Amino acid sequence: MTFIASFLSMFRGRKLAIVGLIWLCIVAFAAIAAPLLAPFDPLEIDPVARLSEPGMPYLFGTDHFGRDSFSRAIYGARMAVIIGLGSVVVALITGGLIGMLSAYFTRLGHVLMRGVDVLMAFPALLLALVLMTLLERSVTNTIIVIGVVYATTTARILFGMTLKLKGEVFVDAAICSGAGHGSVLFRHILPNLISPLLVQASFIFAFAQLQAAALDFLGLGLPPEVASWGNMLSEERIYVTRAPWLLIFPGALIILSVFSMNLVGDAMRDSIDPRFKDDIAGV
Amino acid sequence: MLVYTIKRLLALIPTLLAASILVFLFIHLIPGDPAAILLGDTATPEEVAALTREMGLDEPIWKQYLLWLGNVLQGDLGTSVFFREPVLKVIGSGAETSILLATMTMVWIVLFGIPIGIVSATKHGTWVDQVTSGGAMLFASIPTFWLGLYLILIFAVGLGWFPSSGFPSVSDDGGWTNLRYLILPSLTLAAPNAALIIRLVRASMLDVAREDHVRTARAKGLHPAKVAIKHIFRNALIAVAAAFGFTFAALVSEAVVTETVFSLPGIGRLVVQSILRRDYPVIQGVILVIVVLYMVINLLVDLAYARLDPRVSLK
Repeated sequence: MTFIASFLSMFRGRKLAIVGLIWLCIVAFAAIAAPLLAPFDPLEIDPVARLSEPGMPYLFGTDHFGRDSFSRAIYGARMAVIIGLGSVVVALITGGLIGMLSAYFTRLGHVLMRGVDVLMAFPALLLALVLMTLLERSVTNTIIVIGVVYATTTARILFGMTLKLKGEVFVDAAICSGAGHGSVLFRHILPNLISPLLVQASFIFAFAQLQAAALDFLGLGLPPEVASWGNMLSEERIYVTRAPWLLIFPGALIILSVFSMNLVGDAMRDSIDPRFKDDIAGV
Repeated sequence: MLVYTIKRLLALIPTLLAASILVFLFIHLIPGDPAAILLGDTATPEEVAALTREMGLDEPIWKQYLLWLGNVLQGDLGTSVFFREPVLKVIGSGAETSILLATMTMVWIVLFGIPIGIVSATKHGTWVDQVTSGGAMLFASIPTFWLGLYLILIFAVGLGWFPSSGFPSVSDDGGWTNLRYLILPSLTLAAPNAALIIRLVRASMLDVAREDHVRTARAKGLHPAKVAIKHIFRNALIAVAAAFGFTFAALVSEAVVTETVFSLPGIGRLVVQSILRRDYPVIQGVILVIVVLYMVINLLVDLAYARLDPRVSLK
């Protein structure tokens, strides 16, 4: 309860971030309850009703296969959450471990962080593209690829923070009282990294949406039959002049979700870093 | 400064070598015989056998790497499966478009990003700041290709002000007026990056504004605009300059998408098409060129940074 209360207190006085948080809750709800909310099967083809305008019974219209865009958008929310959370988990666990271990064990750090430097020499989407050429198009591979790309930045950030914490008195105290390496790292240092990790997670979640959409657009992301917002845009883009609504709804959903996540991340970062606290009062 | 430059140059070598190993291994990570992969599906067994000998594929892998590296250093990046031309030549043919696109994009970023960032910082806390900061974040949240598609729909299809796709070389008919083909793509590419610069200019100006020398400047009664530009912005520029290396990486990534949306014959679209065509020598070549370019740019940015802020090179 106290955790939720302190989480919510980060948003005090930031109306837009609260709206963002509410929108993200709606997306999360749609993701969980997709089968109950979607009026049609997202894969069901109705050739007679292809490219129908938004209205009843097709709220967002239908695509060029006659599939219901509204149902696909709801299942797309599920895919957005899966891709976002998956990438966050991959990036934070691999990047976090590399960063923390590198800062704690200096010699190992020399090797690992040079490796991170090398990976960071590849622009993000390019690295993702190269990895995708080696792998098959699938949900898991997309998550792994995006996660690996953001693991590098996470490793850098956590490396710096762990290095700082390592010099603190409470870490010395823990070592003096006989705590092992594992205990110092995960019971004494890690709890102090939770807030920055949360901020990092929110930004990775946001960027992962844009990366996944870009990969879908280039035909190198999720398999084409998967109902994702990126695939909806990618598949229907040639019909943009005939059926502009097909791009407006999924596009708006991506923008709203990424924007909300950025607002939430910003609010969290500002409340953690007091330098920014009184700066951006409203936004 | 000279010592610092040499130090940075030497530090670049191991990273470059490691990156080159990764790029080299790329071909070997693809399942199948590298020689067959490099020659494509139409290759005869004799051709495969010949390339196997030429690349030294029967030799140990470190020897193959040295052989490859030797070729690369002499400018031989292999032959494109699709074009049947040297990879370097194929990449070169996309260079004009990509360089012009990047230059134009940079112009927009500086033109929009810096002034809006300054306004946002000086009006900090007011509605002006809230609109610009919020707007910048919104623009950073738009998928590049979606923005591109709508710019085409509105300004090319709807209003007919600009061409919707393609880019004839400036040496073709039309000369420099052909740059109008790049206006929509460069704006698309600039939007998320200008948004980033706005936020950065704003944040670093607010940081500098807290320093003592600014208080002194204000205390001696200087005009607020003069304080903002001469005392705050000039110092904040250091942090902004440092971000341009990062902007390059973002530009490369988004150029891949933008060039595809606008069907521009640049290097970004070449990567995507090569991936779809399984033209692995070209993919490998482009990645190598971009990684080297990225490292050189980062080095230049770091050197500029050290020059702007002497505290860095003294450390």
